[in-house]
Amino acid sequence: MNNQSGVLAKRSLALLLVVAVAVTAVIGWWPGKNTVVQPPEEIEDYLFWQAKDLTDFKLIGANSKTLSLNDLKGKWSFIFFGYTHCPDVCPLTMGVLGQAFRLLEKDPAASQEIQGIFISVDPKRDTPELLKEYVAYFNSKFTGVTGDTAQLDALARQMSALYTIHPREPEKTGDNYLVSHNSTVFLVDPQGRLYGRFPPPQAPQEIAEIFIKIRMFYNERSKKRWFFF
Amino acid sequence: MVFFLKTFISLALGFVALSASADGVNIQIQGPWVLAAPPNVKVLAAYLEIKNNGDKPQILTNVSSPAFEQVGIHRSVMHGNTAHMEHLKELTIPPRASVVLKPGGLHFMLTDAKKPLHIGDQVPMTLNFKDGGKIAVTAIVRSGQIEGMEDHQHMDHSGHENHKH
Repeated sequence: MNNQSGVLAKRSLALLLVVAVAVTAVIGWWPGKNTVVQPPEEIEDYLFWQAKDLTDFKLIGANSKTLSLNDLKGKWSFIFFGYTHCPDVCPLTMGVLGQAFRLLEKDPAASQEIQGIFISVDPKRDTPELLKEYVAYFNSKFTGVTGDTAQLDALARQMSALYTIHPREPEKTGDNYLVSHNSTVFLVDPQGRLYGRFPPPQAPQEIAEIFIKIRMFYNERSKKRWFFF
Repeated sequence: MVFFLKTFISLALGFVALSASADGVNIQIQGPWVLAAPPNVKVLAAYLEIKNNGDKPQILTNVSSPAFEQVGIHRSVMHGNTAHMEHLKELTIPPRASVVLKPGGLHFMLTDAKKPLHIGDQVPMTLNFKDGGKIAVTAIVRSGQIEGMEDHQHMDHSGHENHKH
């Protein structure tokens, strides 16, 4: 008698579990169909249509410390390609990004997850040591790196961040040549995927506000993904 | 607070310099400033507004500063999202008009600073015009944020036009 009721209880428990799982799946699936993929309108223009996996790269920072794809994982990375002999666009953009990072300090959770990376496409003049001092001026959360042409291209190509080193003007002496570079601030997500971008001209408030929304959208979406297995 | 005060003083100084105007040249300079950058950079940018109050075009041919080895007239140009810089031989200010040098566009490129410059420092410059006129101005080193924010508000609307250039 006791034994029989025990089996029955086990069976009904198992049945209840199956029903619960089924109901949960249906509830999860039902609204999910319509809501999962579409980002809010105000961040749409800043996101890539599809997050793009990056392949590994290796760049060099101060004290020969390398930066590779692994260093981007677990954080949101704001990446800018420039050079220090650039008087106008580079300090302007880095100043804007530094200010955006300070605004983001109001959101400690978001602020903890961000890093800024300045990649110099002018390794001939920009040593890693010089870059360290350069980026620290704008924000303590910035890292400065560079590399040889092959190392730079390995990442720049994946982001379509084209750059050109122009030959020095003939009448000029010394090391005064110009470099063209993409002045977009690229956003890489904590999985190391190219996720979004802030095209020029950027503003601190814009970057901070949009990033908060992007992060929220990303977190919501990953939660749903997990729910769906 | 100290920062704001400093900025305010810098701005005030900047506006004192704006009244600089030389004899024989019907030119007025407004709000000259230098974008602050890390002390180890070799190249900085200066911005200002040049107003031609006369009836003839004025041509700026050369700029010099005792604080730098070289000063050039430059323009940042965006092709899509790619920033290029071009060197201009001269800059024409049409009669009864202004030319504005501002971040992301026209600027004086200041090359090889003789000593590191910091926020609040003053940079003397001389603008030389084709007809022989000279104007001395003093630019203040400051962060781009104040001007930058205003600019972006304007640029948000005109941004798309910029891309067509």
